[in-house]
Amino acid sequence: MNFLESLTKIPRRIIFLTIAIAVAVPLIIPIGIPVNVMPQSKKLFDAVDGLTSDSKPVLISCDFDPQSLPELYPMLLAVMRQCFSRNVKVILMALWPQGTGMVEMGLEELSQEFTKEYGVDYVFLGYKFGVAAVVLGMGENISGVFPVDYYGTPLDSLQLMKPVRNYKDISLIVTLSTGDPGWRQWLLYAQSRYGARLGVGVTAVSAADVYPYVETGQVTGLLAGMKGASEYETLVQRKGYAEGIFRASQGMDAQSLGHLLIMIFIILGNVGYFYTRRKR
Amino acid sequence: MNISPDPWVWLAAFLTLCIFSFLYRDNVLYRFAEHLFVGVSAGYLVALTWHNQIYPNLIVPLFVEGNLFYIIPLAFALCYFARFVPRFNHMIRLPIAFLLGWGSGVAIPAFFQRDILRQTQGTLLVRDAFTRWDSGLWAVVILVGVVSTLIYFFFSRERKGIIKPTANLGVIFIMLGFGASFGYTVMARISLLIGRLQFLLGDWLGIIR
Repeated sequence: MNFLESLTKIPRRIIFLTIAIAVAVPLIIPIGIPVNVMPQSKKLFDAVDGLTSDSKPVLISCDFDPQSLPELYPMLLAVMRQCFSRNVKVILMALWPQGTGMVEMGLEELSQEFTKEYGVDYVFLGYKFGVAAVVLGMGENISGVFPVDYYGTPLDSLQLMKPVRNYKDISLIVTLSTGDPGWRQWLLYAQSRYGARLGVGVTAVSAADVYPYVETGQVTGLLAGMKGASEYETLVQRKGYAEGIFRASQGMDAQSLGHLLIMIFIILGNVGYFYTRRKR
Repeated sequence: MNISPDPWVWLAAFLTLCIFSFLYRDNVLYRFAEHLFVGVSAGYLVALTWHNQIYPNLIVPLFVEGNLFYIIPLAFALCYFARFVPRFNHMIRLPIAFLLGWGSGVAIPAFFQRDILRQTQGTLLVRDAFTRWDSGLWAVVILVGVVSTLIYFFFSRERKGIIKPTANLGVIFIMLGFGASFGYTVMARISLLIGRLQFLLGDWLGIIR
């Protein structure tokens, strides 16, 4: 077996090891590859940036669990940083039970940067089982679906929630979604049925499915995976809403090198394949 | 280097390494972590179902508040267990029929609006699309892509004449779609690895910030 033939038989452990090194090294020694902001990320950023303290609140639904944390959690932090910096009121909730933990973690992290009052600047509704019934019910009456918030406080007693009855009183819904239930249900029921404005942040696996809805304007902006999160972080930084190192941006060097390596492996594999086929 | 003193971080790091050890080969540490995950998930699901669904939505209204209306959903729910009694086996159809009927009634009009009407509108060439040359070009590409892909899946006529090259063009669009999906999938998997490495190198070992 010569060199070209051996390209089709690279041991998988070698591939794993090289990818691990290619991903780990840029995390330790950053290269600083610039982040190019895509129009669909900018669109969501602009939608939030167009809101003020007098605007209706933004509803952020954390429809993900710790498995999607590297991609979606930075989006949550970046969107909340932007909202808090602009004094836009935020309503948080989750269609995934584990999403509540993500929200609590985010609120704890941001409490060190912002002094915001619970019930006035933000509210956390928690998780409710039912998906379609929840999203449809919120279109009629949010307090009917969530009579109390995550901490057991009646919704009617929270200042932020007093003028909020249904989606008409929400300026923008942002779903950070890892699968079902998630963006599909928000688009199906909240956007299509009630005409709510919807921004979507998804894991990269789902991103290709969302593009058609961005094209038609059914979705107001899309954040696609870690790349989308890093773009949003970049925009938040450029506007001066926050500074420091952000996790998604930190990972983009590693992401780029990882992709480069996979492309090299694909090319090498194909070279070996075509050589072997020709030889036969 | 600033190693975490938090025992939970150490436990999470240990379990992460246990799972990663599978990349070398199947071993007892991997199986331990895998079984632990399955057990914890199952336990979590049982507790979650009780605390988030059964207790607040059935037990409290029916037995604490005394709302007898909730006997109906209770009876429907119990019908699911009829499957275990051959004589009453047929009763499982009741809740399934209810769910199917409700689900279809709610979803079909919304699906039609989301995926048919609005997507067809988005595919049509309208004057607004040609206000800029690039948006006009993409509108034409989308139209050609949708039509040729639909023709590829049109099996009622033999592929000859104009249908053959159009269907072949559709294949190219389908392949481009698959390629984009695969690229995004690779990105997602690399992101997961980055997330774990950020945890190991940052939260655990303190090598990165």
